[in-house]
Amino acid sequence: MTFPGRVGAVNNASEPGSVRLMEAAALDLLFTSLHEAGYRVIGPTVADGAIVLGELAAAGDLPFGWGVQLEPGGYRLRRRGDTAAFGHSAGPGSWKQFLHPPREKLWSARLAEGGFEIGQTGDDSGRDAEPPRLAFFGVRPCDLRAIQVQDQVLGSGRGNSRYAARRAAVLIVAVNCTEPGETCFCTSMGTGPGAGPGYDLALTELVSGDRHAFLVDVGTEAGASVLAGVPHVNAGAATIDRARSAVADASEHMGRSMPAAGLRELMAGSYDAARWDDVASRCLTCGNCTLACPTCFCTEVEDVTDLSGDHAERWQHWASCFDLDFSYLHGGPVRSSARSRYRQWLTHKLGTWHDQFDSSGCVGCGRCIVWCPVGIDITEEVAALQAEAQDRKTGDAGTQDGAP
Amino acid sequence: MSGVTPADLAGHPFLRGMADGHLAVLARVCWVAPVRKGHQLFAEGDTARRFWLIRSGHVALDVHAPGGRQLIVETLGQGDLLGLSWLVPPYQWQFGATAVQDTMTFEFNAAAVQAACESDADLGYQLLQRVMSAALSRLQATRVRMLDLYAASAPVRGGP
Amino acid sequence: MSQATAPVLPARYQVVERQEETHDTVTLCLRPVDQPIPAYRPGQFTMLYAPGIGEVPVSISGTGPELGLVQTVRAVGAVTRALCACPPGRVIGVRGPYGTHWDVASAAGDDLLIVAGGIGLAPLRGALLAALGHRERYRRVVVLAGARSPEELVFARELDEWRRGGAEVAVTVDQAVVGWAGHVGVVTQLIGRVDVDSARTTALICGPEVMMRLTARELRALGVPATRIRVSLERNMRCGVAECGHCQLGPLLLCRDGPVISYQVAMPLLAIREL
Repeated sequence: MTFPGRVGAVNNASEPGSVRLMEAAALDLLFTSLHEAGYRVIGPTVADGAIVLGELAAAGDLPFGWGVQLEPGGYRLRRRGDTAAFGHSAGPGSWKQFLHPPREKLWSARLAEGGFEIGQTGDDSGRDAEPPRLAFFGVRPCDLRAIQVQDQVLGSGRGNSRYAARRAAVLIVAVNCTEPGETCFCTSMGTGPGAGPGYDLALTELVSGDRHAFLVDVGTEAGASVLAGVPHVNAGAATIDRARSAVADASEHMGRSMPAAGLRELMAGSYDAARWDDVASRCLTCGNCTLACPTCFCTEVEDVTDLSGDHAERWQHWASCFDLDFSYLHGGPVRSSARSRYRQWLTHKLGTWHDQFDSSGCVGCGRCIVWCPVGIDITEEVAALQAEAQDRKTGDAGTQDGAP
Repeated sequence: MSGVTPADLAGHPFLRGMADGHLAVLARVCWVAPVRKGHQLFAEGDTARRFWLIRSGHVALDVHAPGGRQLIVETLGQGDLLGLSWLVPPYQWQFGATAVQDTMTFEFNAAAVQAACESDADLGYQLLQRVMSAALSRLQATRVRMLDLYAASAPVRGGP
Repeated sequence: MSQATAPVLPARYQVVERQEETHDTVTLCLRPVDQPIPAYRPGQFTMLYAPGIGEVPVSISGTGPELGLVQTVRAVGAVTRALCACPPGRVIGVRGPYGTHWDVASAAGDDLLIVAGGIGLAPLRGALLAALGHRERYRRVVVLAGARSPEELVFARELDEWRRGGAEVAVTVDQAVVGWAGHVGVVTQLIGRVDVDSARTTALICGPEVMMRLTARELRALGVPATRIRVSLERNMRCGVAECGHCQLGPLLLCRDGPVISYQVAMPLLAIREL
């Protein structure tokens, strides 16, 4: 099988919107191009029995030939039959750990003379220092949307977070999905399996026999500039078609689904649902879902001093609505039962997120299903809530009839 | 001869909506009673022979505690019924009542009102409904006071 | 980047005056050391920083001289205890102002009814002073305040001044000894005494959540529409800038969509337990 194209010609004039083809062997040169442009490359790699996100020195660090086996509460690496680098999903980490770090110093101050004086803002390199330029290599469409969801929450630049500065220093190389994981439902959430706008480059992996290549959609000038130094050709119509079809096929093979519309209304109408007691009997309130979820953003702010009492710092770190003290007020938590905390998480993610931030908080990546130690599946919970809502409606209609 | 007309009583919020005939019965067994500031209307332990509808002013129900402290149980004012113990045995005031300001009232002969209610069940029902409404309102308010909502909350204790 | 333009660094404010309101509540009069924070509107709050200890949200009770702030704090934990203990001269941190405001001006031409429970009088004081500052714009200005006892009434020394400014002020307490000339009972019991004109009343309520629900219920029973009743709600607040997720109440982020909310919006949310 061949991937038709004009062989051998290196086209330096890629523009946003153009479609190119590059060999997998050229990935190393893509890495070089990124490094020369001043980026550190972050991407998937195998470590500790999982495919995690970390800094990659070269293309060889990518998880070629590795796949995963996913189920509620289960994640296993497996060997693939081919050499695909991106044939996996729902790793435990997401890109939020780089844009919205788990721990961050906001500022430090000197305490003296009955007052205080703020010295350095930001981490030890200083708030006004340039954040590192990072190339996110291998961003799945669902995760690209997750980044955009967090942009809406944290990216205004008006708050504590240095998110906006970090985000501006990121280059995104997305990877379209051709093989959904067992727990994926991006199609239902409208976030995949093809990447929406927002990438600098988007790759579609094409593996067949000993041919291994990538279709490259150029999204921005920055993406074009990075691609310029890498051997590539114009993609031929047949190749493009093959790639697009593979992505389209993937949308038919999702392991799970959510109702197409009405999640916000379903959540708003479900506060008294009996189903919450059912899930509460299983939920450990461990908060794994909030750690794994690429859009969860809640943080805690902490003021600390050193032993001398002369020096104070304010730190921000990840927090979870499953923590009991998350909702502490007047002597106790507002949400004390597991039922109320699980309900808060799901109704926020799928419902009130719309009211607060004008979009859904869920991108259909399936991580919460995989990484829940007891295997709670939100697609199953939503189906149950929907059934209960339907029963309530038909039940009400029956009594309104007045029939005995 | 009391000088109180049914029309006078009809204007009092407590008797709002009561039929003229019933008001006429009540008007015959009550009189206008001004109460001077500081005057005690009744003391704890006294037999409850009268009750009042406050037209204007301010009355405090009080109770005496050791150490010379006199505590105010509740204050009543314009539109309020003063006195509930005249309706039920042992017909004895549980608290004292003192005018905090110059106060205008309609004062009622409790025995006469009870006799009138015995012979006219309708009147009795109308009166009891209004008494119950006042008592319920006061009970609910008292329960809310017992919640001590303005106290600083103690941390949650107990439980696993 | 100067402190004035960095929106989330605490600005330095010095305690100019410290007034003990009750055994556990203090009013601090603060004056900016560097640039002041932007002008506030009654109902908004700041995050007050006790240096080295932490931050808490505190409603603004009013403005002070020299672009200063008046803020009333109740000592219920480590941070608030430290703030209450600050003597004149101490410098603390202030971030804000944050949140929605009472929109007192919307009551122009009508009766303004202010119902306060306990320390809930603090966020309402600014609204009252704003109304008295333009007294001719409003018909009646009525203040009903409830407190645990006469000794625990905040701003007790200002009540007569408010009356002179054109406000009708009635106070009720849960407990008192004989000699107390005010009412003894709950604040809802005062509502019946003030002849509310339900068609022309805007009500502002602040206090413990139970008190606000019961007061709103009483007012609605009299015919005041829920859209003209406003309450000030509270949840755990940490960042004040809608980024940390703590202050959610259903669809609302109280630091941004509150704390002042129309009762029309608040009512269904307050009815859900553990929301």
